[in-house]
Amino acid sequence: MRFNNFVKFGNLSNMKKVFIDRDDLEKIWEKRTFCVKILLIAFFTIIWLKIFYLQVVKHSYYLSKAKARSISGYVIKAPRGEIITADGVVVATNRAIFQLYIDLETLPDEELILKRLSLILNEDYGKLKERFYLAKKNSFGRILFKRNLSWDEVSRIVVRQYYLPGVSVEVEAERYYPYREAYFHILGYVAKISKEEFEKLKDKNYSSEDLVGKKGIEKLYESHLKGRNGRIETERDAKGRLGKVVGRIDPTAGDDLVLTLRHDLQMRAYELLKEKRGAIVALSPEDGSLLALVSAPAVDPNKFISGFEDGEWERITHDPKKPLLNKAIQAYPPGSTYKLLTALAGLKAGIVKGLGWSVSCPGYYPYGNHVFRCWETRGHGSANLIRAIAVSCDVYFYTIGSRLDVDLLADVSRSFGLGRVSGLGFSDEKPGLVPDKAWKKRRFGANWNQGETVVVSIGQGYILTTPLQMARAYMVFANGGNLYRPFVVAAIRKKDGTVVFKNTPQLEGKVAINPEHLEWLRDGLREVVESGTGKASKVPGLIVWGKTGTAQVVAIEKKTKNLEHHAWFVSYAGNSTPKIVTAVLVEHGGGGGAVAAPLAGELYKAYYKLPSQLIKWTSKEEETPPDLSGGFLYGNFTEN
Amino acid sequence: MEILPKISPFLRDNLYAFLAFLSLIVINILNQSGMGETGIYFWKNLIWNFLGFALFLFILFRFDYRRVSLELLWILYASMLILLIILALFKKRWLIIGPLSFQPSEFLKIILVYLISLIISKKTEPKLTSAEAVLLLIVIALPVFLLLPVDLDYAGIIFLMFFTFLVFLGFPKRLLLLFFMLGLAFSIVILPIAWNKLKPHQKGRIYGYLDPEKYHKTWGYQINQSLIAIGSGGLLGHGLQKGWSTRLNYLPAKNTDLAFAVWAEAFGLLGSTLFMLIYGYFLYWGLLVSNKAKDLLGKALSLGIVLIFLFQFIFNLGGAIGLLPMTSIPQPFLSYGGSITISAYIMLSILFNISFRKDFFK
Repeated sequence: MRFNNFVKFGNLSNMKKVFIDRDDLEKIWEKRTFCVKILLIAFFTIIWLKIFYLQVVKHSYYLSKAKARSISGYVIKAPRGEIITADGVVVATNRAIFQLYIDLETLPDEELILKRLSLILNEDYGKLKERFYLAKKNSFGRILFKRNLSWDEVSRIVVRQYYLPGVSVEVEAERYYPYREAYFHILGYVAKISKEEFEKLKDKNYSSEDLVGKKGIEKLYESHLKGRNGRIETERDAKGRLGKVVGRIDPTAGDDLVLTLRHDLQMRAYELLKEKRGAIVALSPEDGSLLALVSAPAVDPNKFISGFEDGEWERITHDPKKPLLNKAIQAYPPGSTYKLLTALAGLKAGIVKGLGWSVSCPGYYPYGNHVFRCWETRGHGSANLIRAIAVSCDVYFYTIGSRLDVDLLADVSRSFGLGRVSGLGFSDEKPGLVPDKAWKKRRFGANWNQGETVVVSIGQGYILTTPLQMARAYMVFANGGNLYRPFVVAAIRKKDGTVVFKNTPQLEGKVAINPEHLEWLRDGLREVVESGTGKASKVPGLIVWGKTGTAQVVAIEKKTKNLEHHAWFVSYAGNSTPKIVTAVLVEHGGGGGAVAAPLAGELYKAYYKLPSQLIKWTSKEEETPPDLSGGFLYGNFTEN
Repeated sequence: MEILPKISPFLRDNLYAFLAFLSLIVINILNQSGMGETGIYFWKNLIWNFLGFALFLFILFRFDYRRVSLELLWILYASMLILLIILALFKKRWLIIGPLSFQPSEFLKIILVYLISLIISKKTEPKLTSAEAVLLLIVIALPVFLLLPVDLDYAGIIFLMFFTFLVFLGFPKRLLLLFFMLGLAFSIVILPIAWNKLKPHQKGRIYGYLDPEKYHKTWGYQINQSLIAIGSGGLLGHGLQKGWSTRLNYLPAKNTDLAFAVWAEAFGLLGSTLFMLIYGYFLYWGLLVSNKAKDLLGKALSLGIVLIFLFQFIFNLGGAIGLLPMTSIPQPFLSYGGSITISAYIMLSILFNISFRKDFFK
């Protein structure tokens, strides 16, 4: 049956009484359709041009927008290189931990997710929210919401992943320092990159969540330790849920550092010092490599990553003992440990004419309109060079100082590496101060006063040195004239074992010392330990050469005047040839012989693996610095 | 079956149009298969296309567009009005019967274009008199007015479509000028008032249109996502089902309103251009059919259908690419939808029917 039959009202005859004129209609219609054609072409052209603009001209713009929206790239942090001591102990490593991240961009509903998280983590919602907003303020993009999740927490979150858009749990390698405070000042620490640092480093493969070396070796060797971050790219749907992984660049671990430090020595040094405040530096006189470097008190570097407890950071920053300061590279008046350099200058200048040349010490030394006191008020009687060093007779060195040209003394000091940074590379290292005439002119606009030389000759006054510098200076006595640049990193090697960098000892200079003079000075140093002020450092079976020092602390404010002196002991030891030089400084510790010298002795026992028994050493012949504060000198001795 | 011998000349004349038609069907199916995991739409779309094609063949061979009487159309028109009244009362855009949802506006277009064409085909003058023009305007305005509360966009577009149609049918110039002046005055006076009366989401569309990037999280979300999808397609596109916007559900209403964005993302400028060329050729061919039709009904009907397809295209694509404010109207042969598919097939079959029958005009 024809469909047309259903159309009941169909009436074809209607069509027959058509138009006036066919041709007329055709003409009019052609005109009309022509207009529509124009319309059609116009609209199609406009729309096509816009599409062309979007898809060709702005393609890269929209593609990057699409990518930014649909692909979330997460950084896989490169494990930092490990730091290993010379005896093979890993002192800075990485441990795998679970981190809870919240992606601010895809977080659909903060409150909802935080509520769910508070239930899952069993934490108070209010506190969680507070933490979230705090973190949000300090972060950009993605925030590390909770560190070091337990296995239990991880599983609880991961199974509910679908209901937690924007939340992700990631395994990361995080810096860990197994020996905590002991290595704090030498290794430094890592902490979250700051916004300013990130702005500077973001082109160098840093992510906003990276830990970056802030101090010590971690900072100095940041570029080696860092490694290259990897990246994982995951599809993210409109609801913020992550889908399949579309790209992955594996991270490259940072290079390992092999240090010159000896672990047992370092640990012993910290143990000896941890109750006190001060620094111990141990160097090898053979090449300048650091054997130990400790400063106390110290901070647990792990806390810079995991966070300090409430108020702990405040306590640390306000602690008068300044735990954050690496005291091994801060400048102090060297006290009597400087007398060796005065002696050498005296020998060079011909003031000290030999071992026969002696000074009679009545316990005081008048110079100009001032009387300088010897620490031994009863006087030392007649003392030659060796005895003067052994008993640390101030009058003997005042006598040299009164005739010595300060510029010569400064030259000798500089040739021992004083007055400049040691080249270890730490940015917080102080250069110390070696005063001379030109310096005084520059600094105070005044001429040098010979009385000042008298004071400097016993290591007081303007002269300032760091424990590292003093250890380095005595290294010259130990090895007979070679001034090495201290170094701590022996080698840098990749994870596969290939060595990228191997340190070679840098001889910075040779100090020309008359062998006879050197012999005398060494005898003096040895006599200090054998019979003089440094007996406490004596180690059976070893030869120890050393010099005590007790640096007077002149505080600007009167009320702190009765602070105790800084105790110094700079020494070296060996069976026949010296193998280790140490500088021990105990801030406000008291006398160098009683406080600092025993520590050095203990260190040598540790170095030579000898049995140790730390006995409290008390000696009547304790050296205290002469009171200089009543004189014409007013200087700030502890700061430079 | 006296028609069958005529098929070969028909095909000879309209081969390209027929091929274009088939390619549009392929594009439609391809595009819906590129939507990703929402597989049900693909199969439903396939079924609609199949039904539509069957209807197309049936109408093409078993139907003569000249046989539809005015009375039948008036009855259809009246029933459409009643349907729209009911829907307006219930504030519904869709008539839902069981599993099927039926969008009356799609069929309203067919009824209107047929009715208007039929009315003017009875005339003996090539131009409309003022009275006729007003009458036809009322015929258009009545359903549009009923559609207004439930489907503002479509109502507006349908009115615009058919008003343009009337203009091409010889709308009196004086009246046109009057309407133009009235419209201008109206917009100056009423628009500010109307603006305040608009619902936030309606205002938001304008905001989103004016600055999609600024309102990318709120009003401009759709347009912004659409622009990203289209723009990221580039020259050659990401390939079927590969585009992020489509696959990761960033495109809202990707099956319907933003189906073009899906296509453009998948096949890039090449695909967009191809679609536009085919679609454009098809409309152009429609105009040729209109020129060649021997009777005024055929001429008017084919012109009207071309205009409907053109407006659909302008507003859908214009919205998707940010030239015009976003409107929720589907694009024939890209969007999914039972009503749009069936109505598109019906209109095309009428177009082919006109072309088919011009040769044995009695």
